[in-house]
Amino acid sequence: MKFYFHLNIDTFSNTYVVLDEHSKCAVIIDPGKPTNEVLKQIETDGYTLCAALITHNHEENIRGLNTLRRIYDLSVYAADIDVANTAETTIKGDGILKFGGINVEYFSVPGHTADSIVYKIGTVLFTGDVISAGEIGSTTSSYAKNLLCKGIQSKIFTLSDDTVIMASHGPMTSVSAEKMYNLAAASPAIKHKNLFTGL
Amino acid sequence: MISDFDSNWNIIDSDYCLMHAPNAEEITHKMFHYIAHTEKIIGLNASGVAFSNIDDFNLTNKRFYGCNFMQCIFRGLQSKGFRSRMSTFDFAVFSDCNLLESNIQFTSFAGAKFSHVLFTGSDMIQDNFTGLESFQSSFDDSDLYNSRFIKARLIDTSIRNCNIKNTVFREIEQQNLSFRLSNTNEAIFDERGSALFTGMKELDNPVGAKI
Repeated sequence: MKFYFHLNIDTFSNTYVVLDEHSKCAVIIDPGKPTNEVLKQIETDGYTLCAALITHNHEENIRGLNTLRRIYDLSVYAADIDVANTAETTIKGDGILKFGGINVEYFSVPGHTADSIVYKIGTVLFTGDVISAGEIGSTTSSYAKNLLCKGIQSKIFTLSDDTVIMASHGPMTSVSAEKMYNLAAASPAIKHKNLFTGL
Repeated sequence: MISDFDSNWNIIDSDYCLMHAPNAEEITHKMFHYIAHTEKIIGLNASGVAFSNIDDFNLTNKRFYGCNFMQCIFRGLQSKGFRSRMSTFDFAVFSDCNLLESNIQFTSFAGAKFSHVLFTGSDMIQDNFTGLESFQSSFDDSDLYNSRFIKARLIDTSIRNCNIKNTVFREIEQQNLSFRLSNTNEAIFDERGSALFTGMKELDNPVGAKI
Protein backbone atom coordinates (compact mmCIF):
# COMPACT_ATOMS: atom_id res chain seq x y z
CA MET A 1 0.00 0.00 0.00
CA LYS A 2 1.32 3.45 -0.89
CA PHE A 3 0.28 6.70 0.77
CA TYR A 4 0.81 10.16 -0.70
CA PHE A 5 -0.08 13.61 0.58
CA HIS A 6 -0.58 16.93 -1.17
CA LEU A 7 -0.67 20.31 0.53
CA ASN A 8 -3.14 22.77 -0.97
CA ILE A 9 -1.50 26.15 -0.41
CA ASP A 10 -4.79 28.04 -0.95
CA THR A 11 -6.48 26.51 2.08
CA PHE A 12 -3.53 24.99 4.00
CA SER A 13 -5.37 21.67 3.71
CA ASN A 14 -4.06 18.20 2.89
CA THR A 15 -5.34 15.75 0.31
CA TYR A 16 -4.27 12.11 0.52
CA VAL A 17 -4.06 9.38 -2.09
CA VAL A 18 -3.85 5.69 -1.17
CA LEU A 19 -2.77 3.17 -3.81
CA ASP A 20 -2.95 -0.61 -3.62
CA GLU A 21 -0.31 -2.17 -5.89
CA HIS A 22 -2.05 -5.57 -6.13
CA SER A 23 -5.60 -4.55 -7.06
CA LYS A 24 -4.47 -1.32 -8.81
CA CYS A 25 -7.16 0.47 -6.85
CA ALA A 26 -6.74 4.08 -5.71
CA VAL A 27 -8.67 6.00 -3.07
CA ILE A 28 -8.56 9.76 -2.55
CA ILE A 29 -9.30 11.38 0.80
CA ASP A 30 -10.58 14.97 1.04
CA PRO A 31 -9.93 16.08 -2.55
CA GLY A 32 -9.56 19.79 -1.94
CA LYS A 33 -7.76 20.47 -5.17
CA PRO A 34 -7.06 17.68 -7.67
CA THR A 35 -3.87 19.03 -9.22
CA ASN A 36 -2.09 17.46 -12.17
CA GLU A 37 0.32 15.93 -9.69
CA VAL A 38 -2.54 14.13 -7.90
CA LEU A 39 -4.02 12.83 -11.17
CA LYS A 40 -0.60 11.74 -12.41
CA GLN A 41 0.00 9.83 -9.20
CA ILE A 42 -3.27 7.95 -9.69
CA GLU A 43 -2.92 7.26 -13.39
CA THR A 44 0.77 6.36 -13.57
CA ASP A 45 1.08 2.58 -13.48
CA GLY A 46 -2.58 2.17 -14.40
CA TYR A 47 -4.39 2.72 -11.12
CA THR A 48 -8.17 3.17 -11.10
CA LEU A 49 -9.71 5.73 -8.79
CA CYS A 50 -12.32 3.65 -6.95
CA ALA A 51 -13.62 6.07 -4.35
CA ALA A 52 -13.38 9.46 -2.69
CA LEU A 53 -13.65 9.46 1.09
CA ILE A 54 -14.84 12.73 2.64
CA THR A 55 -14.13 13.41 6.32
CA HIS A 56 -16.67 16.25 6.52
CA ASN A 57 -18.56 18.69 4.37
CA HIS A 58 -16.31 21.74 4.36
CA GLU A 59 -15.29 23.55 1.21
CA GLU A 60 -11.55 22.78 1.48
CA ASN A 61 -12.30 19.05 1.69
CA ILE A 62 -14.72 18.71 -1.21
CA ARG A 63 -13.81 21.48 -3.64
CA GLY A 64 -12.24 19.06 -6.13
CA LEU A 65 -15.14 16.59 -6.24
CA ASN A 66 -16.88 18.10 -9.26
CA THR A 67 -13.68 17.91 -11.29
CA LEU A 68 -13.05 14.32 -10.26
CA ARG A 69 -16.64 13.31 -11.03
CA ARG A 70 -16.25 14.70 -14.54
CA ILE A 71 -13.12 12.60 -15.11
CA TYR A 72 -13.92 9.37 -13.28
CA ASP A 73 -16.92 7.19 -12.54
CA LEU A 74 -16.47 7.84 -8.86
CA SER A 75 -18.25 6.73 -5.68
CA VAL A 76 -18.12 9.44 -3.03
CA TYR A 77 -18.44 8.27 0.58
CA ALA A 78 -19.49 10.81 3.19
CA ALA A 79 -21.85 11.14 6.13
CA ASP A 80 -23.62 14.06 4.49
CA ILE A 81 -25.95 12.96 1.68
CA ASP A 82 -25.48 16.32 -0.04
CA VAL A 83 -21.86 15.34 -0.64
CA ALA A 84 -22.29 11.61 -1.20
CA ASN A 85 -25.27 12.18 -3.55
CA THR A 86 -26.65 8.63 -3.11
CA ALA A 87 -28.07 6.79 -0.13
CA GLU A 88 -25.75 3.82 -0.81
CA THR A 89 -22.62 5.85 -0.30
CA THR A 90 -23.91 7.86 2.65
CA ILE A 91 -22.25 6.34 5.71
CA LYS A 92 -23.34 6.60 9.33
CA GLY A 93 -21.84 5.44 12.60
CA ASP A 94 -18.94 2.99 12.41
CA GLY A 95 -18.29 0.36 9.75
CA ILE A 96 -16.03 -1.14 7.12
CA LEU A 97 -15.65 -0.46 3.40
CA LYS A 98 -13.58 -2.38 0.86
CA PHE A 99 -12.17 -1.08 -2.42
CA GLY A 100 -10.09 -3.69 -4.26
CA GLY A 101 -7.41 -4.60 -1.75
CA ILE A 102 -7.97 -1.52 0.40
CA ASN A 103 -9.88 -2.17 3.62
CA VAL A 104 -11.23 0.98 5.20
CA GLU A 105 -12.62 1.18 8.71
CA TYR A 106 -14.62 4.30 9.48
CA PHE A 107 -15.78 5.85 12.72
CA SER A 108 -18.16 8.72 13.29
CA VAL A 109 -16.61 11.36 15.59
CA PRO A 110 -18.98 14.36 15.64
CA GLY A 111 -18.20 17.66 17.35
CA HIS A 112 -16.28 19.73 14.81
CA THR A 113 -19.20 19.05 12.47
CA ALA A 114 -22.11 16.65 12.83
CA ASP A 115 -20.94 14.65 9.81
CA SER A 116 -17.29 14.19 10.85
CA ILE A 117 -15.94 10.75 9.95
CA VAL A 118 -12.41 9.37 10.39
CA TYR A 119 -11.07 6.62 8.12
CA LYS A 120 -8.49 3.99 9.06
CA ILE A 121 -6.49 2.25 6.35
CA GLY A 122 -3.87 -0.14 7.73
CA THR A 123 -2.10 1.73 10.53
CA VAL A 124 -2.94 5.17 9.16
CA LEU A 125 -5.90 7.18 10.42
CA PHE A 126 -7.25 10.04 8.28
CA THR A 127 -8.91 12.36 10.74
CA GLY A 128 -9.98 15.43 8.77
CA ASP A 129 -10.50 18.24 11.26
CA VAL A 130 -11.35 15.95 14.20
CA ILE A 131 -7.79 15.95 15.55
CA SER A 132 -4.47 17.24 14.22
CA ALA A 133 -0.98 17.60 15.70
CA GLY A 134 -1.51 19.06 19.19
CA GLU A 135 -4.97 20.41 18.47
CA ILE A 136 -8.58 19.38 17.93
CA GLY A 137 -11.04 20.79 15.42
CA SER A 138 -12.84 24.04 16.15
CA THR A 139 -16.24 23.76 17.80
CA THR A 140 -19.14 26.14 18.25
CA SER A 141 -20.07 25.31 21.83
CA SER A 142 -18.73 23.66 24.98
CA TYR A 143 -21.19 20.80 24.39
CA ALA A 144 -19.71 20.16 20.94
CA LYS A 145 -16.19 20.37 22.35
CA ASN A 146 -16.99 17.80 25.05
CA LEU A 147 -18.62 15.55 22.47
CA LEU A 148 -15.57 15.81 20.24
CA CYS A 149 -13.12 15.12 23.09
CA LYS A 150 -15.14 12.10 24.24
CA GLY A 151 -15.26 10.78 20.69
CA ILE A 152 -11.49 11.21 20.31
CA GLN A 153 -10.80 9.48 23.61
CA SER A 154 -13.14 6.56 22.97
CA LYS A 155 -12.52 5.97 19.26
CA ILE A 156 -9.04 7.31 18.46
CA PHE A 157 -7.04 7.06 21.68
CA THR A 158 -8.09 3.42 22.02
CA LEU A 159 -6.27 2.56 18.80
CA SER A 160 -2.73 1.21 18.82
CA ASP A 161 -0.15 3.79 20.00
CA ASP A 162 1.80 3.63 16.76
CA THR A 163 -1.25 4.49 14.63
CA VAL A 164 -0.25 7.41 12.42
CA ILE A 165 -2.68 10.34 12.28
CA MET A 166 -2.98 12.32 9.05
CA ALA A 167 -5.23 15.34 9.37
CA SER A 168 -6.73 17.87 6.97
CA HIS A 169 -4.46 20.57 8.34
CA GLY A 170 -0.90 20.52 9.62
CA PRO A 171 1.69 17.77 9.92
CA MET A 172 1.25 14.10 10.64
CA THR A 173 1.32 12.81 14.20
CA SER A 174 0.62 9.60 16.12
CA VAL A 175 -1.91 8.38 18.66
CA SER A 176 0.77 8.10 21.38
CA ALA A 177 1.92 11.69 20.79
CA GLU A 178 -1.62 13.07 20.88
CA LYS A 179 -2.44 11.19 24.07
CA MET A 180 0.45 13.06 25.70
CA TYR A 181 0.53 16.48 24.05
CA ASN A 182 -2.84 17.36 22.56
CA LEU A 183 -3.92 20.69 24.02
CA ALA A 184 -7.57 19.71 24.43
CA ALA A 185 -7.91 15.94 24.28
CA ALA A 186 -4.88 14.58 26.16
CA SER A 187 -6.22 12.74 29.17
CA PRO A 188 -5.99 14.59 32.52
CA ALA A 189 -4.09 11.65 34.06
CA ILE A 190 -1.32 11.99 31.49
CA LYS A 191 -1.24 15.78 31.81
CA HIS A 192 -0.92 15.35 35.58
CA LYS A 193 1.93 12.89 35.10
CA ASN A 194 3.72 15.36 32.82
CA LEU A 195 3.38 18.11 35.39
CA PHE A 196 5.43 16.19 37.91
CA THR A 197 8.00 14.78 35.53
CA GLY A 198 11.46 15.86 36.55
CA LEU A 199 10.64 16.88 40.11
CA MET B 1 6.49 -4.89 13.94
CA ILE B 2 10.09 -4.25 13.05
CA SER B 3 11.22 -4.73 9.47
CA ASP B 4 13.37 -7.67 8.48
CA PHE B 5 14.89 -8.48 5.08
CA ASP B 6 14.64 -11.45 2.74
CA SER B 7 17.59 -12.93 0.87
CA ASN B 8 17.20 -10.29 -1.88
CA TRP B 9 17.24 -7.45 0.64
CA ASN B 10 13.54 -6.71 0.18
CA ILE B 11 11.86 -5.31 3.28
CA ILE B 12 9.52 -7.81 4.97
CA ASP B 13 7.60 -7.58 8.24
CA SER B 14 8.96 -9.63 11.09
CA ASP B 15 6.55 -11.05 13.65
CA TYR B 16 8.09 -9.15 16.53
CA CYS B 17 8.88 -5.72 17.84
CA LEU B 18 12.61 -5.15 18.39
CA MET B 19 12.38 -5.78 22.12
CA HIS B 20 10.86 -9.24 21.68
CA ALA B 21 12.61 -10.33 18.49
CA PRO B 22 14.73 -13.44 19.17
CA ASN B 23 17.29 -12.25 16.58
CA ALA B 24 17.23 -8.54 17.48
CA GLU B 25 20.97 -8.08 17.07
CA GLU B 26 20.96 -9.71 13.64
CA ILE B 27 18.01 -7.58 12.47
CA THR B 28 19.75 -4.45 13.74
CA HIS B 29 22.94 -5.25 11.82
CA LYS B 30 20.94 -5.98 8.66
CA MET B 31 19.20 -2.66 9.09
CA PHE B 32 22.48 -0.73 9.33
CA HIS B 33 23.72 -2.52 6.22
CA TYR B 34 20.47 -1.85 4.32
CA ILE B 35 20.44 1.86 5.16
CA ALA B 36 24.15 2.24 4.39
CA HIS B 37 23.73 0.67 0.94
CA THR B 38 20.32 1.99 -0.13
CA GLU B 39 19.67 5.53 -1.28
CA LYS B 40 15.86 5.52 -1.41
CA ILE B 41 14.29 3.77 1.56
CA ILE B 42 10.53 3.18 1.58
CA GLY B 43 8.36 1.79 4.38
CA LEU B 44 11.14 0.72 6.75
CA ASN B 45 10.09 0.11 10.36
CA ALA B 46 13.16 0.58 12.56
CA SER B 47 11.35 1.55 15.76
CA GLY B 48 13.51 1.20 18.84
CA VAL B 49 16.83 0.75 17.05
CA ALA B 50 19.88 2.60 18.41
CA PHE B 51 21.97 4.25 15.70
CA SER B 52 24.90 5.25 17.87
CA ASN B 53 28.38 6.12 16.64
CA ILE B 54 28.37 3.49 13.92
CA ASP B 55 31.40 3.56 11.65
CA ASP B 56 30.70 4.65 8.08
CA PHE B 57 27.03 5.37 8.90
CA ASN B 58 26.12 8.53 7.08
CA LEU B 59 22.71 9.75 5.97
CA THR B 60 24.03 12.16 3.35
CA ASN B 61 21.64 12.22 0.38
CA LYS B 62 19.57 9.33 1.83
CA ARG B 63 15.84 9.53 1.11
CA PHE B 64 13.30 8.11 3.56
CA TYR B 65 9.64 7.74 2.61
CA GLY B 66 6.99 6.44 5.02
CA CYS B 67 9.54 5.08 7.49
CA ASN B 68 9.03 4.48 11.19
CA PHE B 69 11.88 5.52 13.51
CA MET B 70 9.79 5.84 16.67
CA GLN B 71 11.84 5.66 19.88
CA CYS B 72 15.11 5.28 17.98
CA ILE B 73 18.37 6.68 19.29
CA PHE B 74 20.59 8.66 16.93
CA ARG B 75 23.97 9.62 18.29
CA GLY B 76 26.86 11.22 16.41
CA LEU B 77 25.03 11.23 13.09
CA GLN B 78 26.48 13.35 10.27
CA SER B 79 24.61 14.20 7.09
CA LYS B 80 24.05 16.79 4.42
CA GLY B 81 21.06 16.68 2.10
CA PHE B 82 19.14 14.07 4.10
CA ARG B 83 15.55 13.82 2.79
CA SER B 84 12.40 12.55 4.52
CA ARG B 85 8.70 12.46 3.67
CA MET B 86 5.80 11.07 5.72
CA SER B 87 8.16 9.44 8.22
CA THR B 88 7.87 9.39 11.97
CA PHE B 89 10.63 9.98 14.52
CA ASP B 90 8.23 10.29 17.48
CA PHE B 91 9.92 9.95 20.89
CA ALA B 92 13.32 9.46 19.22
CA VAL B 93 16.48 10.79 20.83
CA PHE B 94 19.02 12.75 18.78
CA SER B 95 22.29 13.80 20.32
CA ASP B 96 25.36 15.40 18.73
CA CYS B 97 23.88 15.13 15.25
CA ASN B 98 24.52 17.37 12.24
CA LEU B 99 21.64 17.12 9.77
CA LEU B 100 22.62 20.12 7.67
CA GLU B 101 20.67 21.28 4.61
CA SER B 102 18.12 18.52 5.07
CA ASN B 103 14.79 18.37 3.27
CA ILE B 104 12.35 17.00 5.84
CA GLN B 105 8.69 17.53 5.02
CA PHE B 106 5.46 16.16 6.53
CA THR B 107 7.51 14.29 9.11
CA SER B 108 6.82 13.91 12.81
CA PHE B 109 9.27 14.45 15.68
CA ALA B 110 6.59 14.52 18.41
CA GLY B 111 8.01 13.94 21.88
CA ALA B 112 11.54 13.70 20.48
CA LYS B 113 14.61 14.90 22.35
CA PHE B 114 17.32 16.95 20.60
CA SER B 115 20.61 17.65 22.31
CA HIS B 116 23.29 19.45 20.29
CA VAL B 117 21.50 18.89 17.00
CA LEU B 118 21.99 21.13 13.98
CA PHE B 119 19.38 21.40 11.22
CA THR B 120 20.97 24.55 9.79
CA GLY B 121 19.80 25.48 6.28
CA SER B 122 17.03 22.88 6.10
CA ASP B 123 13.58 22.74 4.53
CA MET B 124 11.33 21.52 7.33
CA ILE B 125 7.89 22.31 5.96
CA GLN B 126 4.82 21.04 7.81
CA ASP B 127 6.76 19.03 10.39
CA ASN B 128 5.47 18.05 13.82
CA PHE B 129 7.65 19.09 16.78
CA THR B 130 4.84 18.79 19.35
CA GLY B 131 6.26 17.90 22.76
CA LEU B 132 9.83 18.31 21.49
CA GLU B 133 12.59 18.81 24.07
CA SER B 134 15.41 20.70 22.43
CA PHE B 135 18.67 21.61 24.17
CA GLN B 136 21.47 23.63 22.54
CA SER B 137 20.17 22.92 19.05
CA SER B 138 19.77 25.02 15.95
CA PHE B 139 17.23 25.42 13.16
CA ASP B 140 18.96 28.53 11.77
CA ASP B 141 18.33 29.56 8.15
CA SER B 142 15.57 26.95 7.80
CA ASP B 143 12.05 26.96 6.40
CA LEU B 144 9.69 25.83 9.16
CA TYR B 145 6.50 26.83 7.33
CA ASN B 146 3.30 25.36 8.81
CA SER B 147 5.18 23.28 11.41
CA ARG B 148 3.99 22.88 15.00
CA PHE B 149 5.96 23.30 18.24
CA ILE B 150 3.01 22.83 20.60
CA LYS B 151 4.07 22.08 24.22
CA ALA B 152 7.71 22.05 23.13
CA ARG B 153 10.54 22.74 25.57
CA LEU B 154 13.17 24.83 23.82
CA ILE B 155 16.31 25.55 25.81
CA ASP B 156 19.26 27.44 24.30
CA THR B 157 17.69 26.79 20.94
CA SER B 158 18.13 28.97 17.92
CA ILE B 159 15.46 29.61 15.29
CA ARG B 160 17.23 32.51 13.56
CA ASN B 161 16.60 33.76 10.06
CA CYS B 162 13.86 31.15 9.57
CA ASN B 163 10.57 31.24 7.73
CA ILE B 164 8.05 30.60 10.51
CA LYS B 165 4.92 31.60 8.62
CA ASN B 166 1.98 29.71 10.11
CA THR B 167 4.33 27.89 12.50
CA VAL B 168 2.55 27.23 15.80
CA PHE B 169 4.31 27.89 19.15
CA ARG B 170 1.61 27.24 21.76
CA GLU B 171 2.25 26.42 25.42
CA ILE B 172 5.99 26.24 24.84
CA GLU B 173 8.59 26.42 27.59
CA GLN B 174 11.76 28.22 26.69
CA GLN B 175 15.05 29.58 27.93
CA ASN B 176 17.36 31.58 25.68
CA LEU B 177 15.29 30.89 22.62
CA SER B 178 16.22 33.16 19.74
CA PHE B 179 14.03 34.13 16.78
CA ARG B 180 16.35 36.84 15.47
CA LEU B 181 15.57 37.79 11.85
CA SER B 182 12.69 35.29 11.66
CA ASN B 183 9.20 36.44 10.64
CA THR B 184 7.61 36.16 14.09
CA ASN B 185 4.74 38.40 12.97
CA GLU B 186 3.50 35.57 10.75
CA ALA B 187 3.91 32.81 13.36
CA ILE B 188 1.19 31.75 15.80
CA PHE B 189 1.87 32.17 19.52
CA ASP B 190 -0.59 31.45 22.31
CA GLU B 191 -2.41 34.06 24.34
CA ARG B 192 -0.10 33.74 27.31
CA GLY B 193 2.68 34.85 25.01
CA SER B 194 4.95 32.24 26.52
CA ALA B 195 7.50 32.69 23.79
CA LEU B 196 7.24 36.41 23.46
CA PHE B 197 7.48 37.75 26.96
CA THR B 198 9.40 35.41 29.20
CA GLY B 199 13.09 35.84 28.86
CA MET B 200 13.33 35.42 25.13
CA LYS B 201 16.25 37.29 23.64
CA GLU B 202 16.86 38.91 20.32
CA LEU B 203 13.27 39.01 19.13
CA ASP B 204 13.56 40.79 15.85
CA ASN B 205 10.08 42.10 15.34
CA PRO B 206 7.68 41.85 18.27
CA VAL B 207 5.33 44.47 16.87
CA GLY B 208 2.33 42.91 15.17
CA ALA B 209 3.09 39.38 16.35
CA LYS B 210 -0.06 37.31 16.67
CA ILE B 211 -0.64 36.62 20.34
